[in-house]
Amino acid sequence: MTDADAVPDSKPEASTVAPLPVEDAADLATRITENVERVIVGQRDAIENILIAVLARGHLLLEDVPGVGKTMLARSVAVSLGGSFKRVQFTPDLLPSDVTGVNVFNQQTREFEFQSGPVFANVVLGDEINRAPPKTQAALLEVMEEEQVTVDGETHRVPSPFTVIATQNDVEPNRTYELPLAEIDRFMKKLRLGYPTESQETELLGRISGDHPIDSLEPVASVEDVQRARRTVSQVTVREPVRSYVSRLAGYTREHAQLGASPRGALALVRASQARAVFEGRDYVVPDDVQTEVQSVWAHRIRTDSDDTGTSVVDRALDAVAVE
Amino acid sequence: MSTERSGRLTAAADADGASRAVALAGVLVLTWSYVSVLYHVTDVVGGSSRLLLAVAGAFVLASLVGYFVSLRTALGVTAALLVGGFAVYVLALPQSQLELLTPGRLLSDTVALLTGLSILRLTGAGVWAMAVAPGPVFLSWYLAVRRRYVWSVVAGGVALGLFVLTGDAGQIPTLVGVVGGTAAVAASTFDRYGAGVAQLDVMAMVLATMIVLSATLSVVPGAGAAPLLPDRGSPTVEGSLVDAQDRLNVVGSIRLSPKVRFTVQSPQSSYWQTAAYDRYTGDGWVRTGNTKPYDGRLQGPPGSSRTVQQQVTAEGTISILPAAWKPVRIDGPIAADAEVTTQGNVRPTTALRPGESYRVTSEVPLYTTEQLRRSGTDYPDQIRESYLQLPDSTSDRVRVRAAEVAGGEDNPYDKAVAVEQYLESEKRYSLSVPQPSGDIADTFLFEMDAGYCTYYATTMVVMLRSQGVPARFVTGYTPGQEVADDEYVVRGLDSHAWVEVYFEDVGWVRFDPTPAGPRQTAENARVTEARQNGEEGVDVNGSEDTPTPTPTPTANETNTGRNGNDTATPSDALAPGGDGANVTPPPGSVPGLGETATDEGGGSPIPDLPPERTFVVGLVAAVGLVAGARRSGVTERAYRSLWLRYQGARQTPRDDTVRAYRRLEYLLEREYRPRRTGETPRAYLRSLSRVGLDADAKRVGEAYEHARYGDGVSRETADEAISTVNRLVRASTPVLGRFVRD
Repeated sequence: MTDADAVPDSKPEASTVAPLPVEDAADLATRITENVERVIVGQRDAIENILIAVLARGHLLLEDVPGVGKTMLARSVAVSLGGSFKRVQFTPDLLPSDVTGVNVFNQQTREFEFQSGPVFANVVLGDEINRAPPKTQAALLEVMEEEQVTVDGETHRVPSPFTVIATQNDVEPNRTYELPLAEIDRFMKKLRLGYPTESQETELLGRISGDHPIDSLEPVASVEDVQRARRTVSQVTVREPVRSYVSRLAGYTREHAQLGASPRGALALVRASQARAVFEGRDYVVPDDVQTEVQSVWAHRIRTDSDDTGTSVVDRALDAVAVE
Repeated sequence: MSTERSGRLTAAADADGASRAVALAGVLVLTWSYVSVLYHVTDVVGGSSRLLLAVAGAFVLASLVGYFVSLRTALGVTAALLVGGFAVYVLALPQSQLELLTPGRLLSDTVALLTGLSILRLTGAGVWAMAVAPGPVFLSWYLAVRRRYVWSVVAGGVALGLFVLTGDAGQIPTLVGVVGGTAAVAASTFDRYGAGVAQLDVMAMVLATMIVLSATLSVVPGAGAAPLLPDRGSPTVEGSLVDAQDRLNVVGSIRLSPKVRFTVQSPQSSYWQTAAYDRYTGDGWVRTGNTKPYDGRLQGPPGSSRTVQQQVTAEGTISILPAAWKPVRIDGPIAADAEVTTQGNVRPTTALRPGESYRVTSEVPLYTTEQLRRSGTDYPDQIRESYLQLPDSTSDRVRVRAAEVAGGEDNPYDKAVAVEQYLESEKRYSLSVPQPSGDIADTFLFEMDAGYCTYYATTMVVMLRSQGVPARFVTGYTPGQEVADDEYVVRGLDSHAWVEVYFEDVGWVRFDPTPAGPRQTAENARVTEARQNGEEGVDVNGSEDTPTPTPTPTANETNTGRNGNDTATPSDALAPGGDGANVTPPPGSVPGLGETATDEGGGSPIPDLPPERTFVVGLVAAVGLVAGARRSGVTERAYRSLWLRYQGARQTPRDDTVRAYRRLEYLLEREYRPRRTGETPRAYLRSLSRVGLDADAKRVGEAYEHARYGDGVSRETADEAISTVNRLVRASTPVLGRFVRD
């Protein structure tokens, strides 16, 4: 593994931990996935995608109808990897400080103390983010980007790993503040859970009708394991043919849509592909990893004409761009 | 991406430019084809530099005007050029011909032209060519400049088609013109639709096929035409001489037909003349002027003459009216169907059946050698114009040699005798000669040491004309076998060509430069052989009596010793043997081409394959094959299948593995399907493994992923991948694969 092949690590403090061997990292991912599956039925893809976002230092946007188990899913992941979980319900009257936290005056010590907001957790679920005013949304996005909160000149680092899973409600569009594309671009992936199949739902109903299984869910990993696995991911080899493949795909979307994948999107795709490679127990990225990741990483970033969709642009790019 | 796109644009522009270049070149080639026909005409009759000027002028005008002038105006200019040209032509015609210019005559002449009348037979052929040339050249080049290639080709094609119909466009100019036109039309289509190099390959294939097929196909048995790569049996002397209608081409090797053609009862032996030719084209002879129906008595020779009555009976089907020079009257049923040529020969418009006969009265000129020597050179204009003509391209060395041979003599008669003796002594008689490719006279004089009568007579006429002595080329028959008193049997092999020289106050006097001895020997041998073989039609009643048919007549030509009185005596004029001087008239020949020429059909002598033509045709075929191979991807496949088989020298393990995988992929591509764009190697192998892909192949794929996307592979992995691929390649190679070891 050479320096040129590794994607530069933007989080210096993360490099203080030693990376897990690839096999161990893959095993960790498998363990977590299987653990979450004890609670969540039929969402293996979603679980993997959340884990990839966690390992690749990304955040997720879930777009779905209410009641398909988004909260349960996020919480199960958080519990399984041994981390903390917090949920914020975004409403039109939610203030930025309600998200990040605020300095309060302590009468006893006669000092201002930082009262941390709900973003201080390993997994944060921002529910119906599009119902909050833009200023509040921006506060969350800033934390996502910087992994820190600055209040009154004081900087407070959020815990590591830190992953935001935001959901968007698309059933009541006229009562929401649509996220601008520039902000959507900051989410590594966008997913749709979708309804479970008939048999999955039947099983689900059977499991949950008694004691909720999440109450008995145990962690199968530690936060430190996850930190080390993230380090492993960042060191996965991405050689020139793959990098060129990604940039040719990006070029294609830029030529065939109003707005194609941004360089940030291309970087996100490379990171997601690295995480995917680790899932497969490989320390290098193959084009197949890119192909697996590209839809969830890029489709939401591409703006198209009304009769086209980002998904189909990506599909066409996959058909047209040669794998070399 | 942007470089790719601009690269594509450049490629398109290149293809566009290439298409235009090909289209213009095609139009030029087509133009060349019909201008070359006209050039040949003017070369023969004079005025070729003027023609070239006219053509060049038309080109320049069309190029200049092409961008500015509307199509309507250009059509007007073309019409003006044609009308103006024809006005010049009409004004240039001699008075005698002008009188013949009635609308009906014009129409029939046009029809005659379109049904094979050579332009060379027009009295004013040179002016005619000048008149015709600028119009089509201007129009077709104007249209080409305006990118209307198809119409340009139509204009040029009409011109070329006209010359094909007149029979003046030979096979090569026609083929070249058609190929050029086709290329132009094809390229214009490319131009319009922006086609690429692949289409040029197709075009090259089609054109090569056209050329090679037309060059070789008529070699197939039964095809009668003259292919570019000739393998036709040699024609008979008779077929080449007598059956020629208005145009006579000198051929190569030739045979003798022993069949009896006709019998003559005549008080005097003579050469039986059938046609005289005035215009020399360099490769043959053309009879100019129109024929008139025979309507009673014809004019005799200018000087004193003796009347000779001949009764001619056809023994085979003949389309000629042989007679001693100069015929003045014909009696018999055929007289109604006879016509008279400008040269004074008579010929029938229908064939004579066996047994048909006619009586012909000839006025045989009487003269003495002295009289001929004293004859002046103040020839009538008509004689001067027609019988001193030589092609512009006649070489200087011919003129020089003629001057050496005859220049010392001070009168036409001695000049003629000198040339006759020179040819008789310098050249051998042979029927088996290669067909000359250039000027006949030049070739015969300087490059051949043997020939037959056509060569002798042609060369003599050319030499005499270059010395200012009016002469012409005459065909007909030698007297034949004298079977009884005043009765002659004439066979096909008696057909002959000789020379007539014009003398003031005497008219046309016969000279025969062909050595008679060898000729008769050859002819006798042929008759004897034919009799032994029992060929039909060799004899008529009486003729077989003579064991060896010693054809009476011919002896005379041998007579070289002309000087003396021998030729001279008027009385002996008719005796064929006499040297020279005498006699008879003429018929033209007629259509019978087929009959005589073919009844001898099997060929003998070897076709002298002109090597350069063979080479050109071979080259064209090669170009077509290459284009076809490229088009069908054969070259690519051949290269790839070679590439597939050899891993090549070992390099780094990484490179070796990658190459091994590429070979595998090519192998699978041939066996199953190619890897699709956007399909990863892993997905490709996985999908093939469902249809039974070797498990080892997947390991090669894994090694490839390591090598290409990962941190590289070990030497062992690389070697294993190579040997796996080698094994798979061998397994897929039929037969040979079993013999190759690792």
